[in-house]
Amino acid sequence: MSYYDIDAILTDNQKVPCTFNLTLPQLGYLDSTPGRPLPSGTKVDLPLWLAERLAVSQLTPSTSLITLDLPASLSPRVMNALKADPKSVDLRSLAANFYGLAERILELFEEEEVCDVLLESWRVRAAEVGDHAVSSGKGGGGVGGGEGVEFLRGLDEKERELFRSAHDSSKAMRVWMGEMKKR
Amino acid sequence: MALPLQAGLTPMEVAFLCEMEMVTVVPRQRLESLNLLSGPTPTLRPPHRAPLPLWLALLLKRQRRANILPPPWLLPSSLERILRHETETSPLAFSPPPPHPHPITSRISPTDHISPPFLPSSTADAPPDYLPYHWLELGEILLEAASDDVPEPDRVRGLLRDLREVRMSKMRGSVKGLEGEGGGVSKMTGVGAMEVSEGRGFILGVLDGLRKLGSSREVARREREEEEGGGEGSEDEEMEFE
Repeated sequence: MSYYDIDAILTDNQKVPCTFNLTLPQLGYLDSTPGRPLPSGTKVDLPLWLAERLAVSQLTPSTSLITLDLPASLSPRVMNALKADPKSVDLRSLAANFYGLAERILELFEEEEVCDVLLESWRVRAAEVGDHAVSSGKGGGGVGGGEGVEFLRGLDEKERELFRSAHDSSKAMRVWMGEMKKR
Repeated sequence: MALPLQAGLTPMEVAFLCEMEMVTVVPRQRLESLNLLSGPTPTLRPPHRAPLPLWLALLLKRQRRANILPPPWLLPSSLERILRHETETSPLAFSPPPPHPHPITSRISPTDHISPPFLPSSTADAPPDYLPYHWLELGEILLEAASDDVPEPDRVRGLLRDLREVRMSKMRGSVKGLEGEGGGVSKMTGVGAMEVSEGRGFILGVLDGLRKLGSSREVARREREEEEGGGEGSEDEEMEFE
């Protein structure tokens, strides 16, 4: 991930649920009670870049400022859906940078099972993406059609990037073969 | 990425490299030996066959000074056998590349490391039933520039298309079997240059995704190994791959 990678920046900007471990004065506006202190134990959605820093910083050796929770897009419900059929889940509606978020979260949490499920669903979905990338655009106007459109709409940013690169290389190949005809 | 250039070669660059392959021509006119960077070409005397680089053969072909003999693997019967091998004999693996012409023994010899561009794999005496490294681009180029020299060009063209489809779908399917943790990279023996160029973007993307998702686990494993120390660590590692 490079410093100027817009996808990395957008990934960092995704909200994750956090619980404050301290009562903080003047921060009540985070919980729509402006002007009041924020009581300890309040749940607030914070962007990942901020939450990560706050969760890692330690006030005393045993407590940190906030506690991170698993975001909704990586909840057990989603994991079960991915386990049942990776292709039918609309990842984009869960998080635009689903895999990017998952990578960052896996760095913070030790979630062996989530990691397994994600690896497997990335593999299965990637193979499907590759098939669509090559078959779309081949039949002229009719792109995919039917169930393909539904699946492609649910791709997250990383899968879209994969689709694009697979599609570009197969297109370059077709262009080259077309040029051979003209000569 | 600062540079808009993609990693790897474009199809046009692969085709350019392919023009260095040697093919067999049957000259129609005399031509004295030419001093090329790759060495002198043989003197061309009409009824005798001679090996020439593809680019020179194409030039002579366009000027109607020579005919190109298609390599034996490009004949319809051979392509059909390869296609049958791809679909029926080994529906998962790619058909093997041609055998190395110089026998490889335990004694190290300078011919061991000669690889496709410098091995004549597309001359008239190349072995049939094996697809060489530049099969797709060489086939396409010959079909376009010298279709009158290739027997049954339409059938050959159809067979090349079929082979490409079959092999590309194998390549895309191979990612399903990939392991997350540096384990099994699928077998790619026999894949041609053009297929590498076409599949690169996709395969690299998939592997990159797997690497990033598995990186946290990788870090954790390495830390555990360091804690446990050398000997025991390697045993644990093998068990995890199961």
